[in-house]
Amino acid sequence: MSKKRIVFSPVTRLSGLLSIELFLDHGQIAEANASSTMFRGFEWIMRDRHVTDAVYMTQRVCGICSTAHGAVASYLLDELYDNEIQENAQYLRNIMYAADFIQNHLRHFYLFSMPDFVRMPDYPPFHGQDLTDARLSPGDNQRLVEHYFEGIKASQKSHEILALFGGKAPHQHSFLHGGVSVAPTVDKITRALSLIAEINHFVKNSMLPDTNLISRVYNDYFRIGITPRRLLSFGLFKFGEKNEKLLWKSGTIEDNNKIILPQVDLIEEDIAYSWFAIDENKSLDNKELKPDPYKPGAYTWVKSVKYAQQHFEVGPLARMIINGYYNGGTSTMDRIYARSLETYLLTEFIQQWLKKLTPGDPPIKQKTTPVKNKVTAVTDAMRGALLHSAYIEDEQVLKYDIITPTVWNFSPKDKNGQRGPVENAIVNTNIPSSDMLFTIAGRIVRSFDPCIACGTHVIDCNNNLNITHCEL
Amino acid sequence: MVINYASNHTIIRETYKGSVFMEQQHFAELCQKLNQQGDNISKSVLDEVNKYRAQYNKKKLPVIWIETNDSGDNNIAFLNTTYPYAGQVFTDMIDLLYSNSFMAAQGKNALNILEQAAEKYKGRFTLVVEGAVPVKDNGLYNIIIRTENRSITALEAVTWLGNLAEYVVAMGTCGSFGGPSSARPNITGSMGVNKILDREVINVSGCPVNPDWFVGTLAHLLMYGKPELDDLGRPTLFYGYTVHRHCQRRSYFDRGNFAEKLGDIECMFSLGCMGPRTGADCPYRQWINHVNWPVKANTPCIGCTNKDFPDGSSPFFLPLDKKGKK
Repeated sequence: MSKKRIVFSPVTRLSGLLSIELFLDHGQIAEANASSTMFRGFEWIMRDRHVTDAVYMTQRVCGICSTAHGAVASYLLDELYDNEIQENAQYLRNIMYAADFIQNHLRHFYLFSMPDFVRMPDYPPFHGQDLTDARLSPGDNQRLVEHYFEGIKASQKSHEILALFGGKAPHQHSFLHGGVSVAPTVDKITRALSLIAEINHFVKNSMLPDTNLISRVYNDYFRIGITPRRLLSFGLFKFGEKNEKLLWKSGTIEDNNKIILPQVDLIEEDIAYSWFAIDENKSLDNKELKPDPYKPGAYTWVKSVKYAQQHFEVGPLARMIINGYYNGGTSTMDRIYARSLETYLLTEFIQQWLKKLTPGDPPIKQKTTPVKNKVTAVTDAMRGALLHSAYIEDEQVLKYDIITPTVWNFSPKDKNGQRGPVENAIVNTNIPSSDMLFTIAGRIVRSFDPCIACGTHVIDCNNNLNITHCEL
Repeated sequence: MVINYASNHTIIRETYKGSVFMEQQHFAELCQKLNQQGDNISKSVLDEVNKYRAQYNKKKLPVIWIETNDSGDNNIAFLNTTYPYAGQVFTDMIDLLYSNSFMAAQGKNALNILEQAAEKYKGRFTLVVEGAVPVKDNGLYNIIIRTENRSITALEAVTWLGNLAEYVVAMGTCGSFGGPSSARPNITGSMGVNKILDREVINVSGCPVNPDWFVGTLAHLLMYGKPELDDLGRPTLFYGYTVHRHCQRRSYFDRGNFAEKLGDIECMFSLGCMGPRTGADCPYRQWINHVNWPVKANTPCIGCTNKDFPDGSSPFFLPLDKKGKK
């Protein structure tokens, strides 16, 4: 065996704990095993609880995308209790949800991803950066470092919008089943408009130009970290009394670029390389998993999830391509680019939605009798497709399943050895010198915006963007 | 809950005598001002830290920050601090020597930095543990770093670093008491840091922590040393009074005027509010640049700073006497 085994750990600047085992062969990454190394067992924690606790409990799955879990749990309960959602509530929900997206994307871009491309100042927490491939001019570099600190403020403002309506952040309180418990009053609307104008200005004048600069200077990353073109989105931003309308459509897309609506029953999970085993104590017709941290050959707490027997990539890139905002490829830089583009779009949407609010009473009406005992709800979260599924009896949870975007992107190999998107993106990457290994692998992995708890075709954002066709 | 602050006020270090620098008593008062616009502590704290450092040539607080079993919400909450903003905390208040979320270094460089910092700053650094520590199956449910030969579990890292640190701060309710990571059935055997270490742990609980509580505690450690703690190991500065005591809706409670549904403006006790038995200053501190808090958003406080959160608070929307039952 000429393959050299190197463990990339800790993969810092992300949410949660990630290690990646890399096998190098003649200057190329021959194999990669992405290990999520933390497990809390939220699906177990959710059992035997009152089902309406799901909104607050499941937000605790993820700190950087908490509103996503609160949102999908609310959609699930809306269906379970057959709620009717007022128009004001949908605008408020989407304002809060989009604000959390912007928070997430700003933090990912400036705090997590940017130090992969920018030389940071030599003091903690940036000391020992070891950026072996720094290409920006001193002036550009300095400007982007300054934007790092401004990005912190802009992301704080995003959470201020969320808290203004949601009570706090992370883990907002008002986006609940039946609607939203806060009143859209003129003072809140005005304050939020002022905040979003500042964020929009920052995104337009710093984040987009910074993204353009990095994508130009590091344009080889449009050819590095490429995944098979299989993308999936559950759609985003629900409207209508029954959450039946989607602003951004759901879809799956494969090589032929034809968009097909996803069907939830084509999703399957595989535990071949995950630290789980079948619980022998349960009868086979009620198959249960149990954690097994000693399982031979397994390397991660993430299960392998597939759609129609294939791994699919999820996230901003999938959403932007499926909705026709972006027509690039599926590389490291495409993922970074699509995320910045989405951030800009969302700052525009929030301004529109705020203006559509009608000041009035809290738009919430919760029904109290479940009309069914089994519900699955889906939406896209910051990092991609998110699914919650509940099976209840007398409003108590018997079983609660969650499939997060991280499960899609960080899927380990399935029983046939097929790789998931992140592993696929890493494998076959050329490493010109050994000191470049972590620099290159880090860039590829972070472009997926990992959360373990859960080139020339660049378009010009300022000119080629048509957002009017999706105005509501 | 009645806290005696008198003892705290008398402990003013020798070095502060005759200085223009804010005394601890003043700092404590600043942290506890109840009726102002809400931004009192955070707007003043950085100025004071800088004055202190200038006057005493004091270095920044060396911090090693380990992330264990939680949702990462606490480092996101930290990023929401205003005056000082998180960037100013990095540049002016603390030397963040190790942090999985924020450090620029990665891979083996990051591990080397951790080992060297633990050695160099032995007995002087503050260990922040963000999250609970799983102990079942030798702690394998949380591995913070792997090498070619071994895995460093959260259990091992917290034990190792906890014994070298000057102060240990458990950040968030998972780190303080186990929190949601240890919620029933707790199949990973997760527990709070103080059950792992045979030493005092400063618990800065909350799900997530309010950034003022965390940054305020770090500022106190830097300028005055250990803050006064309550019987749960939490700084009385922030957790000394119940939410109920200072709730804007207290008058509704006193008159027996209760909300019938979420969104109502009356007292949320009827809808599960944990305010009467939750120590936290949310009603006047509020969240995210001090704009709002759960009761102001017409929902109940769910007692997220408590030792028994979340199991003792759930079902979240049933009144206190019906909680803790299925």
